[in-house]
Amino acid sequence: MLKLSLTRAVAYIDRLPLFTRLAIVLAVGAEVLGVLPWWDVRAWGRLEPDEIGLATMYRTNTFPLIHTDVLHLIVNLLAVTPMLERFEAEHGTLTSVALFMGPLSTIPALIYVGIERFLLRANTAIMGASIWGFLLLGVEAIRHSRSTPYLVINGQQTIPTWAVPIALLLVVAVLMPGSSALGHLCGLGVGYAFGLGYIKFLAPPERVLRWIEGKLKLRTWLPYYVSVDQKVYGRPIMMPIIIHGAVASVLQLRRDPRMLKVPPYLSLLCILVGVAWLFLLPLDQYSRRTYISENALLPGQVHTYFGGSDQNVFRAYKHEVDELAGKSNTEVNDKLEPIIKGLGLKTARQNFTYHAAGHTYAGENLYAILQAPRGDATEAIVLVAAWENVKHEINRNGIPLALTLLRYFKRWSLWSKDIILLVTPDSIAGPQAWVDAYHDAHDPARVSSLPLKSGLLQGAIAIDYAQEGRFDSLHIVYDGVNGQLPNLDLINSIVNIAQGQMGIGVALQEMWHHDNGYPDRLRTMLRGMLKQGLGLASGPHSSFIPYHVDAVTLRPFGEGWQDEMAMGRVIEGSFRSLNNLLEHLHQSFFFYLLMQRERFVSIGTYLPSAMLVAANFTIMAIALWVKSGQPREAATPKSKTDTPAAPATAERDLFLPLGVVALIQSLSIIPLYLFNHAPESALTPLFALFTLLSTLLPITLSHLLPPTPSPQQQYHLIQSFSLLLLGMFLSTLATLNFSLAMITGLFAVPLSFLRPVASPAGKIVVGGVLLNLISPSAVLLAAAGYWGLDVTSVLREAAVGWQVCGTYSPVVVWCVWWPAWVAAGVVVLGERKGGKEKEA
Amino acid sequence: MRQLLSFLCLSLLSVNVFSAAASAADSDYHEQLNLRPLPQSALLASFNFRSNTTVAEFEKGNFRFFPRSLGQILQHAGTRELHLRFSLGRWDAETWGARPWDGAREGGTGVELWAWLEANTDDEADHKWLTLTNALSGLFCASLNFIDGTRTTRPVVSFQPEGDHASLANMHLLYGVLPHEVVCTENLTPFLKLLPCKGKAGIASLLDGHKLFDASWQSMAIDVRPICPTAGGDCVLQIEQTIDMVLDIDRSKRPRGNPIPRPPSGHDLPCDTSKPYHAHDTCFPADHTANQDWSLSQIFGKPMKGVPSTRSVFVSEGVRETRNPDGLSQCFEIPPSTELEMALPVPEDATLPVTITPETPLLYAERSFTGHGQERGGVQTILRNPSPTTPVDFIYMESLPWFMRIYLHTMSARLSPTPNSTTTTDQTDLIQQVYYRPALDRFRATQLEVRMRVPPAATVVLTYDFEKSILRYTEYPPDANRGFDVAAAVITILDPNQEQQEGGRRIALRTTSLLCSLPTPDFSMPYNVIIFTSTAIALAFGGMFNILVRRFVAADEGPEGGLAVLGKLKGRLKGLKGRLKK
Repeated sequence: MLKLSLTRAVAYIDRLPLFTRLAIVLAVGAEVLGVLPWWDVRAWGRLEPDEIGLATMYRTNTFPLIHTDVLHLIVNLLAVTPMLERFEAEHGTLTSVALFMGPLSTIPALIYVGIERFLLRANTAIMGASIWGFLLLGVEAIRHSRSTPYLVINGQQTIPTWAVPIALLLVVAVLMPGSSALGHLCGLGVGYAFGLGYIKFLAPPERVLRWIEGKLKLRTWLPYYVSVDQKVYGRPIMMPIIIHGAVASVLQLRRDPRMLKVPPYLSLLCILVGVAWLFLLPLDQYSRRTYISENALLPGQVHTYFGGSDQNVFRAYKHEVDELAGKSNTEVNDKLEPIIKGLGLKTARQNFTYHAAGHTYAGENLYAILQAPRGDATEAIVLVAAWENVKHEINRNGIPLALTLLRYFKRWSLWSKDIILLVTPDSIAGPQAWVDAYHDAHDPARVSSLPLKSGLLQGAIAIDYAQEGRFDSLHIVYDGVNGQLPNLDLINSIVNIAQGQMGIGVALQEMWHHDNGYPDRLRTMLRGMLKQGLGLASGPHSSFIPYHVDAVTLRPFGEGWQDEMAMGRVIEGSFRSLNNLLEHLHQSFFFYLLMQRERFVSIGTYLPSAMLVAANFTIMAIALWVKSGQPREAATPKSKTDTPAAPATAERDLFLPLGVVALIQSLSIIPLYLFNHAPESALTPLFALFTLLSTLLPITLSHLLPPTPSPQQQYHLIQSFSLLLLGMFLSTLATLNFSLAMITGLFAVPLSFLRPVASPAGKIVVGGVLLNLISPSAVLLAAAGYWGLDVTSVLREAAVGWQVCGTYSPVVVWCVWWPAWVAAGVVVLGERKGGKEKEA
Repeated sequence: MRQLLSFLCLSLLSVNVFSAAASAADSDYHEQLNLRPLPQSALLASFNFRSNTTVAEFEKGNFRFFPRSLGQILQHAGTRELHLRFSLGRWDAETWGARPWDGAREGGTGVELWAWLEANTDDEADHKWLTLTNALSGLFCASLNFIDGTRTTRPVVSFQPEGDHASLANMHLLYGVLPHEVVCTENLTPFLKLLPCKGKAGIASLLDGHKLFDASWQSMAIDVRPICPTAGGDCVLQIEQTIDMVLDIDRSKRPRGNPIPRPPSGHDLPCDTSKPYHAHDTCFPADHTANQDWSLSQIFGKPMKGVPSTRSVFVSEGVRETRNPDGLSQCFEIPPSTELEMALPVPEDATLPVTITPETPLLYAERSFTGHGQERGGVQTILRNPSPTTPVDFIYMESLPWFMRIYLHTMSARLSPTPNSTTTTDQTDLIQQVYYRPALDRFRATQLEVRMRVPPAATVVLTYDFEKSILRYTEYPPDANRGFDVAAAVITILDPNQEQQEGGRRIALRTTSLLCSLPTPDFSMPYNVIIFTSTAIALAFGGMFNILVRRFVAADEGPEGGLAVLGKLKGRLKGLKGRLKK
């Protein structure tokens, strides 16, 4: 009976005979040698039919020990080891060496080479131990068929037992890409022949073996040696894995106290793999080149005509806009509205007022609709030109450019979608108010409804062109609120148009110089992740993305020779592409990390890293739960040898731990509310006060806990629940906002390794210093210090994001991370009575 | 052609719908083109073609001016009155004012069809309707055959027969609409073929697909109705074909070979020279202020040219001119075999008004979606009555696809607070009457008719919510992510003077259509998974099963059959060889 228990597995590995060990070591060694840059082991040792000559005969013996990659090696070893072990146990080490280092490798290899060379006239190189696997399978099958010649299915269909390996061979051939069915078949054929005894003569005669054994005294000094006399005529296994046995062994595994030692290492491994994974992404093997997925876009396929005398018009509009600098929002709109009306467009205005961090963000949006000449108001594209960009610079060139473009667009009759020009007083609140009102998701008390509407918004492009003079490249800002991103096709199209058609460079994530090397790619990706994680609006386009309207902001930068008309042509080209769309942008990716303008990784590739980090918490939570259920006597190192007869689970008292975790979770509403509703002047004092209180909270809570018979169990349960919640929240969040989940997860990593500290000195060190170093407040302070910001402005930005754009990052910080931290604090500091009891 | 008369009316300062007196007894034919400049360099061209045939002759199958192809379809499908509309674009009521023909000759975007069929039962009417739509579909190259049960409604109050019918007892009104149908030249050609001269002569010669479908708004209408003179006499069957289009003069004047609106050279650009910064390279554009000069051949791309008192008009000879007494419009009667030339130069006196403000429509309507997301949404219609004194009574009709499940209880009308409205009408009597026929999934469309009243100088917002249903996998169209078009709402304004009476003047207007996005699966994903797994399973299973089921035996053990045939063949071959050797 096959029992899958850890002890048995270890014992099994312990018992592996010599040749099997040797084969494993050789195969692994060959794999390790494979990394050598100056010697290609694979090319040296593989079975390549055309290379086989007298001098290269060694290949017929080396090829089973060489594998294409680690996965291949692992799979083959898993398959071959048990069978090889049995073969050796049956025939003895010496025979095995003689056979496998000789005829049993060479004969199939020569058959293969013969078929390949003379029948197929091909030259397919093969390698790997799977040929031994099939050979041994063939032997086993023949032997098995002696006892049971047929497998009977349903009492009717009979299958000859010897054919089962062929079925297996076919399955492997179909499911494993790159596996050589012919090679396997050769191995299998030789296996059949050996099993049937046709080539038994190849085995060295027993007499000789005994003589060698006796002369060299192999039995005495070779460990794990299987002597010729020791050999057993084994149990036939045609691998009927008995499910009952598997279940039983899993149950037994659960009771094994050693199991509880594994989770911390496992979760550490998760974290390490998760982080390493992230750092692998910028490599060429893991990232992909971008491509246009939606064929209707046809970016850069149209000739753009914007230019010529339009530049005269642009200059005139620029004069008009320059005169308005420093005027109030209403005055600006009063001046711009007649100009837009003069273009023959319908205009309307919208008022909005937001209150955040004690400030009032109010203003008036002006927008105009260029009705598609033959369209039906079913779809629209938006051109946004905010009066001020996020850095509060006046969009001096952007607004005249938008006006000139609209005047130019009016002359075309090919628009299939309405074009909306939106002029907002600022880059965050104004667009947000407009988009909310467009989708009737606004609060009528703060934001007025739109008097004029068009159809479904299909895309938006914002111009942020505050720079004077000529520019060199284009910066595409694409982060939306809460880390949502526009469809990758939109970015690709603009890159294609700017770079391919107009010859304008494109930069992402403020990487003004990008050499497409690993460090720059990594930096771009990490900057993108940080922005995504913060979840704040990064430009006028950000507010559109939550409504499934794909949007980007284009900002020219650098000193170069591109003028405003070139920028206009990029926008014209992009609008023509959007205009071509028959369907809403849906083909390409919505979840991706860009690391260069033409390289990205998609969610399938990067998600595992955040999931692994989140999984570490869940693993620890489960481990703690199991631990909490173990009776305290189990910890004493006694009577471990005999297997525990009954599960002997300690009764868990759930009420108190659940209550504590729920209390901490509900307390988290307080910082969330306070920091999002306090006026700006009060933010810093409030933050200081909060930091102090949250430092004291774990101590207070741990003192307030009523004494219970088993405090140890209680703390395990508190931490278990808290980590369970954390893992659950973070893995859910990873699908919505990968970066935020990853960042929060990494900051919270220490929480899963904190353990109750008994000694008072340890309490001060761990609870007083270490714990506070990893608190949300400390991290916030450190981050603000690193970027040279003051805490007030960070908190104000967060409050504005929360009040205006609906950023949920504060929720994650205060309601996911902070409670987990407090719970961990309680656990660390709480070992008051528990310690005493333990000593007693 | 016995009485082929072409009329060309050009109205400058007022609406002038010319109507030629139709002699009821005879078959006759009239055509008329009405040109009306609209603000912002737009021009409304209304083509109207009309011919009569007596009912007696029609039933005998004697078609003269009445198109035989259409006539036979009508006879076969038992259609007594037919209205067919092909429309594109939207009528900009804010700028262009009231609609031509009181909106009676236009439809919503796409294709609209309604007809009175003579049938004893509903089933029979449905059957005839199916016949009619399929026949018309072939005749007009449009997807009218897609007007099935889910797109057909039976309006109760919105439509009234235009013709004179002896009795309405056996008449069934059916209404179908295809909002997604793109109207194009393949619909124009059959339309022109119905004319006696097939677009070769008369005003129809101006109709050109390139110009018609480049128009900002266009509507093609076919109306067939019986007319019985009140004095008594033979009833006639009248077919009226109407094409209305609003042309952008700037766009239409572009030469056909070079339609790209390249920026004009710097000195051709009309500039506002009063600006202080005006210079040779800086120009504040002075568009839309200058009078536009145009001629028929420029606009329609073909010669045929005509016009009003305040601006001089050059017309070719042989054209009889009739000036309207109000001095605002001129009519030209064009004798046969004359080529009409007409040019309208820029008036020397630039202060003269080019157009006066168009007639204000009785009601402005604008419909849009509210809400976002894939689960539910809402429809909001803003109805504004510009008149300061008279309230407007109208019927609002929606025919919604079944996958928009409306919640009738959420339907509400409220007065929008406008700064200058002083009316304190009770909000409850905004909606006076509701006729609602709920949808059946995959079977019948929702039909909603609401009788409403908008008080003077007020804006009423009519809203209702709906739920988006999830379609079956195969029910999505190929371009599923585009969304689903929802047909325009039809608003029929009842004549305030002859309230509730049949035959009173009714003004129709239509909102724009809407695009409703439904939850759409990622079609490629299931396909990828299905294809990959089925391939893997098929290969693995096929190979496995073959081995499991087949019994391998040596060739000599097996039954003879195939091998025997082979042996025979071999024997014959040997025989052949032997013969050849001989």
